[in-house]
Amino acid sequence: MSLLTLRSLHIFFRSTSGSIKVVSDLNLEIEEAEVFGLVGESGCGKTLTALSIMGILPQNAFAEGEIIFRGTNLLTLDRESIRRLRGKELSMIFQEPTTSLNPVLTVGYQVAEVLTTHMDISKKEAMNTAIELLKAVKIPSPEIRIKEYPHQLSVGMKQRVMIAMAIACKPSLLIADEPTTALDVTIQAQILELIQRLREDMKMAVLLITHDLGIIAENAQRVGIMYAGRLMELADVYELFNNPRHPYTTGLLESLPEEKGKPLKPIPGFVPEPDRLPSGCKFSDRCRFAIPECNEKEPELIPLSIASNKSNPPSPPFAKGGQEGINHLPLTTRHSSLHLVRCIRASEILWRS
Amino acid sequence: MALLKVNSLKKYFPVKKVFMTAPALLKAVDGIDLSLDEDRVFALVGESGCGKSTVARLIVRLLPPTSGEVLFQGKNVFELSGNNLKAFRKSVQIIFQDPFASLNPRKSILDTIAEPLKIHRIVEKTRIKDTVVELLNKVGLGSDILNRYPHEFSGGQRQRICIARALAVSPKVIVADEPLSALDVSIQAQILNLLQELKREYRISFLFISHALKVVHYFSDSIGVMYLGKIVEHAKTEDLFRKPFHPYTEILLSSAPTIIVQSDKDVRSRNLKLRTDMGEIPSPIDIPPGCPFHPRCPKKFEPCDNVIPELKETDGRLVSCHLF
Repeated sequence: MSLLTLRSLHIFFRSTSGSIKVVSDLNLEIEEAEVFGLVGESGCGKTLTALSIMGILPQNAFAEGEIIFRGTNLLTLDRESIRRLRGKELSMIFQEPTTSLNPVLTVGYQVAEVLTTHMDISKKEAMNTAIELLKAVKIPSPEIRIKEYPHQLSVGMKQRVMIAMAIACKPSLLIADEPTTALDVTIQAQILELIQRLREDMKMAVLLITHDLGIIAENAQRVGIMYAGRLMELADVYELFNNPRHPYTTGLLESLPEEKGKPLKPIPGFVPEPDRLPSGCKFSDRCRFAIPECNEKEPELIPLSIASNKSNPPSPPFAKGGQEGINHLPLTTRHSSLHLVRCIRASEILWRS
Repeated sequence: MALLKVNSLKKYFPVKKVFMTAPALLKAVDGIDLSLDEDRVFALVGESGCGKSTVARLIVRLLPPTSGEVLFQGKNVFELSGNNLKAFRKSVQIIFQDPFASLNPRKSILDTIAEPLKIHRIVEKTRIKDTVVELLNKVGLGSDILNRYPHEFSGGQRQRICIARALAVSPKVIVADEPLSALDVSIQAQILNLLQELKREYRISFLFISHALKVVHYFSDSIGVMYLGKIVEHAKTEDLFRKPFHPYTEILLSSAPTIIVQSDKDVRSRNLKLRTDMGEIPSPIDIPPGCPFHPRCPKKFEPCDNVIPELKETDGRLVSCHLF
């Protein structure tokens, strides 16, 4: 059984004129000890997905569907039960370490607080463990550092403290939401290396959220590409970069500068507001491959083998289409070789080889 | 002759003033030289805190220098005043990193872009509106936005508005301080294409400041790598990316994550090997003695911790390292 399963997850924002759907029908599975990369531009719903797993969505947002962690649906748990899981089994590091730490408490206290909350240990023991943890995240002279306040540390050091807090109770899932976006490349490389090493040592799974395809290529094993609150493509990392099939994925890859002087092929337009998405395929208004059919019905996220075999009617369980077909998907996403894509022209999208 | 020349430019900021003692100095820019020719792109790269944005601000005269000079068409810009200064402002424009903070929220787009036209009396009053529309078209925006306000736009659109405002005075040089880093990947490519078109069409020179090495590689002709207020390597873009000389450049290049697929596993492992855990950039308040990079350098040897290396020419480029 997989560690975390998202099944038909929808996330809405309440507004004066009804609710706006910002994440729609998300299905994915994260296995024990794997790094799953979630890629997308700002506003695509990747952070909201992370917050819903942690049970810390903003007040005006709510989630529907199932978030199954080790057999329990987190969305049905009461606040106290999820509080006991959060920080212990599930933990998260955020993009901005500077705003994520409490400025009036020492970093040692903040790390130790996680331990005293979830484990039955004294403050003194917790402080000693905090020193060990700071050592594990390679903070020099941790005995001195635990008595310091966040403003005395550099951004990279603060992110290390955040990681120390996140791994304090040896969680089985670490959600890293843009963990290195605020950092310099040299520090970024160190932090990612640290996360990888801790993952191997502690056998924890990592949900790595980023917009940087390079980070994904180097760190993740499986990747989901999100656009407008939907998964557009899901595949093994090598498969995704060797054989991307969704026009959005290829668009992202083509946006990266490569050869000097060769004009870039950016994705035209900009991400639409969640309440003004086009009908049918949500990427159709920016897609170079769009045809009238694209606006008729939103394509489903289906295996590439079936998507590229449009002329032959696909065999069950995917033939039923609609809600039922989708329900079968989580079973199959487990195979790492499986490549899912949400595009009716996927078979025609060929990436330069 | 170089269009823009920077000679041993220094900027120290006094910090931590303790009573009756001389203030400590933060050496943000510690003696740099560079020159920008017509129709060229010079890029400055380096980690945050290395002083690259301070250089940008000094060059457009938003900050007074501690010492040194910036020559634009042979004249020291810090000595300009009156009409000469106005002419300089017209020739050198700047685009900032954060398009959310660099537009006045209370001014409509028409007013924002018309302001430089009015100040420099570029066109007659009756032609202002038409000129603004032309400028907006140049950056890929329509005339329908004239009476709208900055908050109605996305980051990419705002950056286009900032570029239109910079273009209003037909500058010869644009200083672009991290113009892409606040934008999404797909929008970055749009803006980069736009900058490239403008360069081709109007022969504008760019001083391009960035930490995104891929973008720098793509857009620039030559590069200065900055470390703690100094340029440690100065080379042609192609040369630098083919073979970095300075150990810092080498680490910087290998740190950038790249999309490498299965077939290039060797490249990947080589990069990983180079990425030594070299710690963090020291504070520019107490710069280490000797080579400022020596505490983090994997190749340091005997003279590094007491002799400051000079920037000297090696193989057609400038490097400050005892190895060369």
